[in-house]
Amino acid sequence: MIKQAALTAAALAVLSGCTVSGGAIPVVDSGRPVSNEDMRTGAGRVVGSSPQTSAPQDSGVVVMVPDGAGGSSAVQSYPLDSQPVFSTDVGGAAAGTAGSSTGSSIGGSTGGSSVLQPDEQLSGPVLALLTTARQQEGSGDLNGANASLERAMRIAPREPQVLYRLAQVRLRQGDAAQAEQLAQRGLTYASGRPALQAGLWELVAQARDAQGNSAGAEQARQRARVSL
Amino acid sequence: MAKKRRSLGKVKSTGGHRLWGWLLKLGLVGMVLLGALAVYLDAVVQEKFSGKRWAVPAKVFARPLELYAGRALTRDDFLTELRALGYRQTNAANGPGQMAVGSSRIDVYTRGFQFFEGTEPAQKVSVHFNGSTISSIGGNRDLVMARLEPMMIGGIYPAHNEDRILIRLDQAPPYLVDSLVAVEDRDFFNHFGVSPKGIARAMFVNLTSGSLQQGGSTLTQQLVKNFFLSADRNIVRKGLEAMMAVLLELHYSKEDILEAYLNEVFLGQDGNRAVHGFGLASQYYFAQPLQELQLHQVALLVGMVKGASYYNPRRNPERAMTRRNLVLDLMAEQGMISQQQASDAKGKPLDVTAGGSMANTSHPAFMDLVKRQLRADYRDEDLTSEGLRIFTSFDPLLQKKAEDAVQSTLKRFGQTPDRPPLEAAMVVTGAQTGEVLALVGGSNPRFSGFNRALDASRPIGSLIKPAIYLTALEKPERYSLITPIDDEPITLEAEPGKTWSPQNYDRQSHGQVPLYMALAKSYNQAAVRVGVDVGVDNVLNTVRRLGVDHDWPAYPAMLLGSGAMTPMQVADMFQTIANGGFNTPLRAIRNVLTAEGEPLKRYPFEVRQRFDSATIYLTQEAMSHVMSEGTGRSAYSHVPANVRLAGKTGTTNDLRDSWFAGFSDDLVAVSWIGRDDNSQTRLTGATGALQVWNAFMGQAHPQSLSAVPPGGVVSAWVDPATGLGSDPSCEGSVEFPFRAGYEPLPGPGCRPVIDTEVLRDGANRVLDTIRDWLR
Repeated sequence: MIKQAALTAAALAVLSGCTVSGGAIPVVDSGRPVSNEDMRTGAGRVVGSSPQTSAPQDSGVVVMVPDGAGGSSAVQSYPLDSQPVFSTDVGGAAAGTAGSSTGSSIGGSTGGSSVLQPDEQLSGPVLALLTTARQQEGSGDLNGANASLERAMRIAPREPQVLYRLAQVRLRQGDAAQAEQLAQRGLTYASGRPALQAGLWELVAQARDAQGNSAGAEQARQRARVSL
Repeated sequence: MAKKRRSLGKVKSTGGHRLWGWLLKLGLVGMVLLGALAVYLDAVVQEKFSGKRWAVPAKVFARPLELYAGRALTRDDFLTELRALGYRQTNAANGPGQMAVGSSRIDVYTRGFQFFEGTEPAQKVSVHFNGSTISSIGGNRDLVMARLEPMMIGGIYPAHNEDRILIRLDQAPPYLVDSLVAVEDRDFFNHFGVSPKGIARAMFVNLTSGSLQQGGSTLTQQLVKNFFLSADRNIVRKGLEAMMAVLLELHYSKEDILEAYLNEVFLGQDGNRAVHGFGLASQYYFAQPLQELQLHQVALLVGMVKGASYYNPRRNPERAMTRRNLVLDLMAEQGMISQQQASDAKGKPLDVTAGGSMANTSHPAFMDLVKRQLRADYRDEDLTSEGLRIFTSFDPLLQKKAEDAVQSTLKRFGQTPDRPPLEAAMVVTGAQTGEVLALVGGSNPRFSGFNRALDASRPIGSLIKPAIYLTALEKPERYSLITPIDDEPITLEAEPGKTWSPQNYDRQSHGQVPLYMALAKSYNQAAVRVGVDVGVDNVLNTVRRLGVDHDWPAYPAMLLGSGAMTPMQVADMFQTIANGGFNTPLRAIRNVLTAEGEPLKRYPFEVRQRFDSATIYLTQEAMSHVMSEGTGRSAYSHVPANVRLAGKTGTTNDLRDSWFAGFSDDLVAVSWIGRDDNSQTRLTGATGALQVWNAFMGQAHPQSLSAVPPGGVVSAWVDPATGLGSDPSCEGSVEFPFRAGYEPLPGPGCRPVIDTEVLRDGANRVLDTIRDWLR
């Protein structure tokens, strides 16, 4: 009798042992407490080696544009210094009156099938992001390229080259409607830059083709030819 | 013979032995069944506790602060962000999370972060400031740009939308754990899940005092009850509860169980939402974070554990007070606090807020928007993957400025005691990106209640006028910025048999005014004339094309804005004008990552061209006159004169709603002031909402609207009085933009045809030459 009791007790002990696994109850921090103190992020920290967004190039290559007085003034290709545009140049041509500009070309700037002329240089951060986007496109990470290009757009919202690249990526992703819209948006900012306009119209044509609008695509190609 | 003896022996002892045998067998069977039950319950307990029950909240992040030369950012704003992220000030920033602060330079060692599009490494960056811009940044390898990690602004439970404010055990305020143990389960740290001592003690106390003062359940049992079982209080439930409590103690430590208890215990009901956990209860009853609670507040919450509805401090304050004081007495009795502390605390009032707020974030209005956008794209079941990382466009710096603007302006207006208080809302978006940057849902931004920015639908008044003139400017053969409009009385048939004669705000008519001036001064009669001329249904269609879906009837009265919109819809509408005629659906979320850092979903930037950019440019030009010389000109007491802005005031009938919507090159901001019961505010758009807008823009350093016209726009000189082409040489002529091909021909110059001056000079020179010859 005792032996049987001991057996059953042992069996129970073994059984309960099988189910012991132990573990902590994972309680995870939610949002900040409702005061303005103690604002920790507790965010995931991943310190890894990955392509930095810093471009090992000289910064501050600037497009020179002739102004009406016969000299030339620097043009920033993003509207961060827009105050000078208003105060010195009411109705003036910050985007350039004509394509005639000078500037040095940056070695290894956006290569590949780009319509960028050496004169259409970009500011440091925007260029770095476009380079990153190019790398991401090359490795097939189109979502990442989108994100990098949108980041560039937040810095330089009026830079048509960013919109050009964004439209390209969208076209590759199959979103032809948005590619067309984005290219149109780029065109509104690209006055005075005929080469870029031609490239944008070409993109519009490709997007329209993809949507089955061949008549519209032909019109766009004609406008591309006129621009050049 | 032996057999008989044996069987006799057997028969003799069978009676007693048989009973024992049966009992033993029953006992064994019972133990096996019990063992099986234990195994089953054990599995249930573990499944509940090991991760599934605790849906790891989705973390919602603000935008990361980007650093690059030329970025508009003041040193103080940068410092605010760094402090909010918890960066510590040191002499030299040598490790992640450190910063060294100078007068025009800040060195910071950033923390790395895993973003949707890649990893941002931890690195040292030195940021130099010049005025309100970053003049340069420095780092290793010719650093061009860097990002700080984004600030976390809240958490979302996707699966069951139940809110918690989760607390770790080490975040509990002093006295909380001690008082809880003292009141509910004195032997918590010693028992094995069930406490016979506790049961005995409770029976004794209850019998001797004649009332049910103590319960015999341990905290573990209560946790089990909260987690698993219904409210039935029968013996079977109690038994199961006890078994599961023991099993729980087998697997988890006292600390784990306590932490779970602190976050799970039921502490109140708010409509159909339950208040679980001390973190949320602290917010709900006191509108304070748990760590800040004082002794008397902690005692109240601990007292409510016994019965949250019975001891509800708002509905049964006397009971709650008695219970709280009992808790304080118990604490003093057990030596956790001194008698003095106890009597001090007992003397204090309950200190609960009048209304309960379930906010589990400092930014409930924006979080509300994030949740709605998530719900629109995901069914609740789809969001089953937990620990999502949601990256938004929220800008904490702009949010603070918007909140300060709202609160300081409302404070300045004061309150009228016989009416409900003035309420306000504000929406700030990126002009070119369509991202929501800041959202204020009411006069108290911390309060999670009616989100006026998203839900308060009010007549927009004169805010509709840009749509009227935009419709007109789309017919350049008839309308330009300087087309003279009759600001004269007009009578229309509103409904059959009834007429409508709109009045200007100043009750006067102003004769012929150029179109841009009619908008700048917000003349009603001129607007109605133009609106009727281009067609009310066309104007309403323009509003739809601007991005706001509505079903307003095409009555002329709609031309003065009797249609209603929420501040968010107004922002959408003005966004399209600010963005060159391209409508972008406003969005708050940029992308979503899974808990492992894998990209889950992106909310891409999308545009739809709705208007010709030339026509929009002209509309912007007209709206900039609102700011330079029209109803919006007080803006320039806050913003430098060389920053070009555009906007429109909006005032409704009887001065009930005060609106202002305006934009710079980078920001669109809409502000609204009104009363929740729709009674009068006695504020116009200019005296009310514009003041909030000015206060915000004065701090936000907006960038000047581009004065570069798009293709299809040409400038021409005109005489503003007649609208005819003119010449720069004529006095009073101004240059205005026009749709290319529709500009007026240049007028005659105002110089005399024969320039006698030059002739006389020439004649004199000839005479001098002849004189010389004759000398």
